[in-house]
Amino acid sequence: MAWIVKDSANTQIERRDEPYLDEAMKAELEKTIIPRYPTRRAATLPVLHAIQHKHNWVPYQAIEEAAEFLGLSPSEVLDTATFYEEFFLRPKGRYLVQVCQSISCELLGHTKLLDRIRDKLGIEPGQTTPDGRFTLMTVECLGSCGTAPCALVEGRLHEDLTEADVDRVLDELK
Amino acid sequence: MALKEPVLTKRIPTPPFGRFQDRTLIDYARYVATGGYEALRDSLKQPAAEVLELVKDSELRGRGGAGFPAGLKWSFLPPQDGKPRYLAVNADESEPGTFKDRLLIDFDPHLMLEGIALCMHACQLDTAYIYIRGEYHHQAKVLEAALAEAYENRIFGPGSIMGTVNERDPHCYVHRGAGAYICGEETGLLESLEGKRGWPRIKPPFPAVAGAFGRPTIINNVETLAMVPPIVERGPDWFKSMGTQRPQNAPPSVPASYGPKLYGVSGHVERPGVYEEELGIRLSELIEGLCGGMRGGKGFKAAVPGGISMGVLGTDQYDARLDFDVGRNYNCLGLGTAGVIVMDEDTDMVAVARNIARFFSHESCGQCTPCREGSAWIYKTLCRIEAGRGTTRDLDMLLELAGSMGAMPGTTICGLADGTNWAVRTILNKFPEEFESRVHPDPSISLPVAGATA
Ligand SMILES: Cc1cc2nc3c(=O)[nH]c(=O)nc-3n(C[C@H](O)[C@H](O)[C@H](O)COP(=O)(O)O)c2cc1C
Ligand code: SF4
Ligand code: FES
Repeated sequence: MAWIVKDSANTQIERRDEPYLDEAMKAELEKTIIPRYPTRRAATLPVLHAIQHKHNWVPYQAIEEAAEFLGLSPSEVLDTATFYEEFFLRPKGRYLVQVCQSISCELLGHTKLLDRIRDKLGIEPGQTTPDGRFTLMTVECLGSCGTAPCALVEGRLHEDLTEADVDRVLDELK
Repeated sequence: MALKEPVLTKRIPTPPFGRFQDRTLIDYARYVATGGYEALRDSLKQPAAEVLELVKDSELRGRGGAGFPAGLKWSFLPPQDGKPRYLAVNADESEPGTFKDRLLIDFDPHLMLEGIALCMHACQLDTAYIYIRGEYHHQAKVLEAALAEAYENRIFGPGSIMGTVNERDPHCYVHRGAGAYICGEETGLLESLEGKRGWPRIKPPFPAVAGAFGRPTIINNVETLAMVPPIVERGPDWFKSMGTQRPQNAPPSVPASYGPKLYGVSGHVERPGVYEEELGIRLSELIEGLCGGMRGGKGFKAAVPGGISMGVLGTDQYDARLDFDVGRNYNCLGLGTAGVIVMDEDTDMVAVARNIARFFSHESCGQCTPCREGSAWIYKTLCRIEAGRGTTRDLDMLLELAGSMGAMPGTTICGLADGTNWAVRTILNKFPEEFESRVHPDPSISLPVAGATA
């Protein structure tokens, strides 16, 4: 839910010496992404995507670095980042499992599927396995309603899923 | 009524003209070998205004949900003033039940790119951004690859066959979203493109006047743009030979439903998928003729005509004509995206309403109180009813809440609230018994009567 404000006032910000948005990334973004837009701010989403792609999440320090790179204040970048469900402002597991819960998938039995994944991973949607390997999420329509029920596993779409498929897909990653 | 030949699916095998399993990605070479980019090359010989006029004549209506005539929208652009003008391609496709744009991107991306180029030429827009939802990882890659081919073959970029457009080299870029349904709303999309949260803007000004980066911007859906090359190639009369006419005696200002349309069918049918048919095909024809009938021979109960914001068609509306007048004729919001969701006799409509309400309460961007609070309240009430703890009064409250959320009276910034309203209200009104059988009469409340013993 985009408009829920998180309690950040009490959060301890962890910092490290090595930047998340390193010089090589900056040079690449400067060359390929920045020239596409009339403002630097427009590159916010591509920059956040690049950070998450490299680090698997978007730490607060990276937000500050992105802000400096884009000529914005950290709060402006944070404001954008918190709005989008795909940006993880807390670490997530190595593999992200996103199960569609919208109408066509529910009509075709997503509940059984989700129960199976819950059982197998031993976690609820929104949680990460203790070994840090899997994060489970329920998401809204993935645009694959004709081949429901479906799930995205690490950005790869799995369609017409059965409980046996769930076992296979998850076991392959274990 | 039946489509004589595939148009948008010309290169994407689709029953009855082909088989799903034969679908493969059409690259630049195969696209050109089958007549691709000819419409663009031909139209470049004509002045931009003529191309725009042609699209206007065809009365092509937007395929992204609202059905606004594309040519008319294009003609709202102010005259060129030497500064940039943009095209934003809406590939956010997040409305539950909708998966048609994905088909076009998955298999025939150059059709849309040619449509983009034609629109840029007709409207003199120098830069196009394809805003694609974050979850379409694979599709973003397909588009990047197709764009690389298009640049290589000088469709876009310096030395483009279009020459300069609006005095600049024409460019086209992919811009990935990050998981927010509301970024499909056109002004939410623009905010997101500018690097901000996707909060829809108050209109006016309309994007054609002040859109992306404060400049004139046209926003069109993927399918709308993909329809442009065939129209330019074969002319408005050909296009208008398909679909349904405007109602008799209606003035020409009332748009008709011309042309072919992609129907994405999901739910309880034997063979779900994206099909192409003329606008105005009956729901029953779609289900029985193309989708192999109801799943397991079950009876039909309800269907969403086009994405869940549109509400539902009831059991007695099985023969509904699916064109842009479906809303007026069958008491739902409209055709929407033509993402048809079919439900069989065993479907629990309370659960359906609850699922849909959850979607809207989750995706509300939170700017407007009626939408943010109303959708969450509706969702919680439906959960209560589903769990068997609802009261008769809850049903009245649901209707009142939904009715006061709608955007049409002007209480909210965008149409999401109106979608919630129509979805909840049509399900409740078309399946009242199902809700009534699940709630209890209100427990009688006994209040102490002041002064009763005095
Ligand atoms: C809440 C909401 C979500 C929308 N989502 C989409 C979408 O995902 N894709 C789309 O093409 N149009 C979407 N629209 C419609 C757009 O605002 C806009 O009307 C459309 O992109 C215009 O293109 P067209 O005229 O070619 O249809 C949405 C509208 C609303 C109110
Ligand atoms: S109607 Fe809802 S989604 Fe649209 S702007 Fe208002 S709060 Fe946001
Ligand atoms: S409802 Fe699950 S993919 Fe659309």
